[in-house]
Amino acid sequence: MSLDNLARIGQLKGHTASASETLRLLASAERNLKDAHVAGISDETRFDAGYKAIMQCALVALMASGYRPATSVPGHHQTMIQSLPLTLGVSKDDWLVLDALRRKRNVNDYSGDPIDPESVRECIARAAALLATTRQWLRKHHPHLLEKPE
Amino acid sequence: MKSLISHLLGDTRTAILAVLLLRPDEPQHVRELARLTGVSPGTLHRELTALESLGVLRRKAVGRQVFFAANRECPVFEELAGLARKTAGLVDVVRSALLPHASRIGAAFIYGSVAAGTETSRSDVDVMILGDLPFADAVKALAPAQASLRREVNATVMKSAEFLRKRRAKDSFVSAVWKAPRLWVIGSDHELG
Repeated sequence: MSLDNLARIGQLKGHTASASETLRLLASAERNLKDAHVAGISDETRFDAGYKAIMQCALVALMASGYRPATSVPGHHQTMIQSLPLTLGVSKDDWLVLDALRRKRNVNDYSGDPIDPESVRECIARAAALLATTRQWLRKHHPHLLEKPE
Repeated sequence: MKSLISHLLGDTRTAILAVLLLRPDEPQHVRELARLTGVSPGTLHRELTALESLGVLRRKAVGRQVFFAANRECPVFEELAGLARKTAGLVDVVRSALLPHASRIGAAFIYGSVAAGTETSRSDVDVMILGDLPFADAVKALAPAQASLRREVNATVMKSAEFLRKRRAKDSFVSAVWKAPRLWVIGSDHELG
């Protein structure tokens, strides 16, 4: 499904991205990724921080592409993951893993089943890779969104 | 409920045939087949010998190791493979999906509502994989099973030692998983007893 179609079924809304919000979100994603590495907190909190960084990357890419998620509609996390191949060109294989991490977080949130260390490792590795991809993509396709406003 | 093929052929024969028929070009070493299906060596040997003499399987010795594979020359190979493909149960489908990574999997089982028999047609399939498989590889391997089962398959990967340590330490999640019913995908209660 294209971004346009996702907007037509009400999952996305139109949006005009600005440099200040882009830089703010990237800085936040960076902080979350750093927090995800902190030892001495629970695996699920580290996972959450890594997952949040993934979501923020997806959001930055989506906004730069002219859309934002309709947060009043259920399932917007799924929509954000779904948008990644359409915005950043994330491959099918990588998408599968990111979507599995989304489901893992969902199960953890609603069942309290703990997050295993292997999932934390994967989540952090994916967040770091996605953040690098996002920056590279912005530099190439939307360089004005990386310019610090005066 | 039992899958059609299990009902017709029994669980043991189905497990053996599903491994070999769903991946006909991958001969399996007898010991590996025993580990994968959890069938005892004596029973396995009997089954393999019978299936070979009927022409369903072919036996191949490489040095001192004995391998078995589906026999494509068997007049009913297509029918049997089709039966396995079309009616194999959830466990057979999940096992077949994990086979390419079997060397990095010590054991694997299905837990949660599917194993307890309390699932609805939309319940997720929760798979615990014990071994050195990275989470991403597990997810990618299980994706086709997800499609053919039309259910989400959730993998949790843990090193075997970590699972055993947590079980001894009475970790709440691992204890709960271990106490609940499970369906063995790779291995059996023996190895983790």
